[in-house]
Amino acid sequence: MSNLTRRRNVVVGAGFGALLVMLAVGQTVLEKTAAAQSKASVQAPRFEVDPLWPKPLPNHWILGSAIGVWVDADDHIWIIHRSSATLGNNEKPLEMGTGECCAGAPPVLEFDQAGNLLRHWGGPGAGYEWPDSNHGIFIDYKGNVWIGGNGGPDSHVLKFTKDGKFLMQSGKKGARRKTGAAAGGNEGDVAGFVGGSNDEVSFGRVAKIFVDAKANEAYIADGYLNKRVAVLDADTGKLKRFWGAYGNKPDDTPLPAYDPAAPPAQQFRNPVHCADLSVDRLLYVCDRVGDRLQVFTPEGKFVKEAFYAKNTKNAGSVWDIAFSKDPQQKYIFMADGVNEKVKVVDRQTLQEVTTFGDGGRQPGQFYGVHSIAIDSKGNLYTTETYEGKRLQKFVYKGMAAVNKANQGTTWPSTR
Amino acid sequence: MKTSRRRGPFGSALPHALLLVALVFPAARLSAHDIPRDVTVQAFAKPEGQTLRLLMRVPLKAIMDIEFPRRERDYVDLSRVDQALRDAATVWLSNKIEIYEGDTLLENPRIVSTRMSLESDRSFGAYEDALAHVTGPTLPADTTIFWEQGLLDVLFEYPIQSDRSRFSIHAAFDRLALSVITALRFLPPGGVVRAYELPGDAGLIRLDPRWHQAAMRFVGLGFFHILDGIDHLLFLLCLVIPFRRARALIPIVTSFTVAHSITLIASAYNYAPDALWFPPLIETLIAMSIVYMALENIVAARLARRWIITFLFGLVHGFGFSFGLEHTLQFAGSHLLTSLLSFNVGVELGQLLVLALLVPALEVLFRFVVAERMGTIILSALIAHTGWHWMIDRFGVLRQFPWPTVTAAGLAGGIRWLTIIVAVAAIAWLVFVLTQRSSRPGAGETAVGAEK
Repeated sequence: MSNLTRRRNVVVGAGFGALLVMLAVGQTVLEKTAAAQSKASVQAPRFEVDPLWPKPLPNHWILGSAIGVWVDADDHIWIIHRSSATLGNNEKPLEMGTGECCAGAPPVLEFDQAGNLLRHWGGPGAGYEWPDSNHGIFIDYKGNVWIGGNGGPDSHVLKFTKDGKFLMQSGKKGARRKTGAAAGGNEGDVAGFVGGSNDEVSFGRVAKIFVDAKANEAYIADGYLNKRVAVLDADTGKLKRFWGAYGNKPDDTPLPAYDPAAPPAQQFRNPVHCADLSVDRLLYVCDRVGDRLQVFTPEGKFVKEAFYAKNTKNAGSVWDIAFSKDPQQKYIFMADGVNEKVKVVDRQTLQEVTTFGDGGRQPGQFYGVHSIAIDSKGNLYTTETYEGKRLQKFVYKGMAAVNKANQGTTWPSTR
Repeated sequence: MKTSRRRGPFGSALPHALLLVALVFPAARLSAHDIPRDVTVQAFAKPEGQTLRLLMRVPLKAIMDIEFPRRERDYVDLSRVDQALRDAATVWLSNKIEIYEGDTLLENPRIVSTRMSLESDRSFGAYEDALAHVTGPTLPADTTIFWEQGLLDVLFEYPIQSDRSRFSIHAAFDRLALSVITALRFLPPGGVVRAYELPGDAGLIRLDPRWHQAAMRFVGLGFFHILDGIDHLLFLLCLVIPFRRARALIPIVTSFTVAHSITLIASAYNYAPDALWFPPLIETLIAMSIVYMALENIVAARLARRWIITFLFGLVHGFGFSFGLEHTLQFAGSHLLTSLLSFNVGVELGQLLVLALLVPALEVLFRFVVAERMGTIILSALIAHTGWHWMIDRFGVLRQFPWPTVTAAGLAGGIRWLTIIVAVAAIAWLVFVLTQRSSRPGAGETAVGAEK
């Protein structure tokens, strides 16, 4: 081998060696930095919208205002929406006989994980009173479907099988009717009805239902007219107990308009929009317009409360919640339909950790994000009311460091 | 392996009996319902001593033509449901399963216990919980439940010779729903748990394959994978158009094989980036590799350099192979590396077959149809054209992903990969230097002579 070749080989070999040493040093430094960063940062679940979920509906069907979502034991996603009642004539020419598209879909829809539409049913039938305005859906531990309603005369809840066979009605429609009563100042209020938060038979425009498997009890977020949480026997529908804000006896006296600077109201505002029980048997109640979440024992003893986006007026900031899927349910995911975000809240401290989403009509954005539910893999599903009229899926992407208060639109980037 | 099965008297008679019932009481209580769209069957198989326990859970909505006793409002009469559950377990589960101990088909199993469960029950998360559930208390008789919304849980027991035997299972559950997934967990002695996700009727699955059984399966998978992959085949065609002699082909094909083996094995051991943008990036790079090779053929192909380029592109193609292998590694048993290497062997056999067809075809083409240089240019131009369109289409998918945020952890991961590449390059360079030295005739003497 010539000296020149040997010298060249030595230089190249030394170059490789030096490069490898530099890379090893660089990697060590970066790993230390990464470990320090990860230790110092707050972690939170991260999500990305699945822009291709669900698949298009058949029969030229479209959704109306979508005001309830739940995930059953098979990880099928159930929604309820207001269909044609909330569709303008320009949205439903097929239904009107004036064009080829579209028509309101049946109010209760079941989707599989791939986004295919499975069962669909709902509407008036024999033996029960279908609500004027559907609101909230829940699938209980026996696979039965519960729905409420917040239309003018709605003061009852209904239970069906998954195939839509009627099982039970609790409360009577029209129970809150009072001739000459003025409309309240809250969203959707109509004249001719008054609250009856101490009624032991019927309700006042129910927003949401949650069935506790352990005690076989249904928690009713009651509601858009009443100001209470009501608890029923899930088989008979008989009322067992009820309470208002702070565990007080409910009082339907109208409250002054929400003022962020005023002391918190001692009664719930309308609507009482969710009542969900956690694994450690604490009941979380959404006082939507009061911008607060109140926590109770199952017996109605007040535990604590927290406020979110406290300056939010009109429709409020605490719309619906879902618990994270870890065994401890460490986080609460909270839909905020005014500020168009999903808040990620630490369940122990009730502190907001981060938020995601933004207002808009693109995937991952919201217009009136109303309801939220979670599947066994930790993926979130949201429905939008008003003109949002949409069901969206947010895929759980694991824990990640929180680098900003609002993550914005969660566009997909990783698998 | 035996294919006949010794059925118990119950096994063969029951369907006929049910058919008779259906004919005699056509519309009485048999409730027809749609075949469900998708169903997941959960199962645990655990050999212990002289018994193999098979725990199964299936949604009752998938069970056809079995009458469940009912009480008011069509709720299931849980006090009388056991026989119906046993019938369902026999007709729809055990009659559809064949379990082999070695090559011997096991007898029909004994139904130890059945339970009807609520769909919210979560006890099938772990074997011990599922066993305690199926042998524990039944649902209270006054529970209001519809059969379509319930679950059938069963504990079967098969007599076996030894829990150390090698077991195979053939579960033909494709009739339960339009789409059926069987999530089977096999728990052989020693604490290992093997998880399988089997579609409808996945054929005979060896739960604990011998190395050569796993190897054979993966050789086949690799062989057909390369034949299915039109982009890999076009790349191969690009490689051989200018170099059709064995002496030239061997280093090129070997270099490609070694490179894709490295990244395929790295992927199987979870060293590949776990990101949505990664598959489209690899697909784009594969298309790019085809375009590059085709253009190089047109401009000027140099054998001395081609093995290096082939090596680099081989790394990319290995990731591409790994995407096809993702869902089949469950069949490797305890022979992951053997299976991966066998997959590579299969890929090589496929490549050799393609080369054996391509090389003579090219020879004929260049001898009788078109002159070699012109033929090389025309063929390569056509391939470049196809590759170019793939590249544009795939880049279109890739560019939808925003640039990932640069983090210290991400950079560290990148440097790890860079280190591997530099180390491989260093080794390749070293091999090259040593080869040059040893292949030079009288290298030592020349060096000495040069000093004179």
